[in-house]
Amino acid sequence: MKSPKQVSVSALWKFAAAAILVVVGAGANASAQTAKIQTSSLDHLVSKASETFNLDLDESLMQLTAKVFKANDPDEARVKALVSGLKGIHVRVLEFEKEGEFLAADLEAIRTQLRAPGWNRIVNAKSKKEGSVDVYLMTSGSQVLGLAVLAADAKEIAVVNILGNIDLEKLSQLEGQFGIPDLSLEKPKRKN
Amino acid sequence: MTKRMILIGTLALGCFMISVSPAQAKDDNFDGVVKVIERFYRVKHKGIPFLARAGMKTAVTAARIAGGSKKRLAEAGSVKVAYFEDQDFESGPGAARFREAINTALGKTWNPFVQVTSPKSGEQVYIFLRHAGDKFHVMTITIDRRDASVVQVTLSPSTLAKLLQDPEDMGRAINDEATTDQ
Repeated sequence: MKSPKQVSVSALWKFAAAAILVVVGAGANASAQTAKIQTSSLDHLVSKASETFNLDLDESLMQLTAKVFKANDPDEARVKALVSGLKGIHVRVLEFEKEGEFLAADLEAIRTQLRAPGWNRIVNAKSKKEGSVDVYLMTSGSQVLGLAVLAADAKEIAVVNILGNIDLEKLSQLEGQFGIPDLSLEKPKRKN
Repeated sequence: MTKRMILIGTLALGCFMISVSPAQAKDDNFDGVVKVIERFYRVKHKGIPFLARAGMKTAVTAARIAGGSKKRLAEAGSVKVAYFEDQDFESGPGAARFREAINTALGKTWNPFVQVTSPKSGEQVYIFLRHAGDKFHVMTITIDRRDASVVQVTLSPSTLAKLLQDPEDMGRAINDEATTDQ
C-alpha cells in the first residue's frame, strides 16, 4: 500500500515525464519547421583547420538585405529577387592544409540531421578527386522550408544552409555571393 | 556618524557602479570591443593622432570600394579606428574564447555576419552589422599575430549591398585600407 507521500511523488514523476515529452516534441517540431542545421559538431576541428569561415545572415539581416538592393538597378533587382523569400543564409567552411585531418565520421552528426523527416536528398555527386556534394531540400507539403549542402573533399568541408523558399536554380545563382562557395552545381534545365 | 555612513555608502555604490561598467560599455560598442581586446590580450591601442590619419584614409577607401572617387559612401565623420601595432596576439586563451568575448560585448545590438579564423597563421576577422536609421554601421575586427585593428564605419545601403555580396573581401578591404600607413 502506497503512502500519500509516495503517491504524490509518483504523480509528480508522471507529470514531469509528460512535460518533458511535450517540450521535446515541441522542440523537434520547431527544429523540423525551421530547417536550421546545427554545425557545432565541427567545432573540434577548428584548431586543426588552416582556415575557417562562418557567415550568418539571420532573418533580421535577410530583411535588411532585401531592403538594400534597389529594384531599379537590373543587377541589384536580380539579387533582390533571389533573396526575397529567404529567411537565412548560414555558411561554414573549414579548410585544412593536409589530407586526413578529419574523418567521414566527423560529418555524421550533420548527416543525421539531414536524414530527419522532411529532408530529401536531391543531389548526390561523388568523385575520388573532387570529393562529394550532397544537396538536401526540406519541404512541408508543397512548401519549401530550406536547403542544405554538405560538400567535402580531402582538405575541405563546406556546409551551406539556406532557410526559406529556395531551389537548385536559386542556389546556383547565389554561388559565389553571400559567402556561398562555388559548388559547381549544374544549373537545372528549364522545362519548356 | 550617520553622514559618514552615507558617504561610505555612496562611495561603495559608486565603486559598484564602476564595477558593473561592462553593461555600460555595451552602449558604446566600439569602445567596448577595444577594451575587450585590451583585456583579453593585455595590449594597448594607439592614440589619437594616428586615429585621425587612419580615419581619413578609411573615408577615401570606402569611397574607392564603392566604385570610385565620385561615390563617397563612407559617411563623413562616421569612421572610428583603433589600431594595435607590434604587440603580442599569439598568447592568450585562444580564438574560440575571444570570439565568445566579442560576441558577448556586442550583445544583441549588433549582428555577427562573418567570422574568419586561420588558427595556423593566427589571423582572425570578424564583421558585425547594425541598422542605423536609413544607413548601416559595419564593424570589422582584424587580429594578426602582431597587429590588430577595430574599424567602424557608417555605410549607405548600396555600399552594404556590395559588402553582403562579397563579404570576406570587402570586410578585409575596409580594415586593411583603414589601417595601412601609405
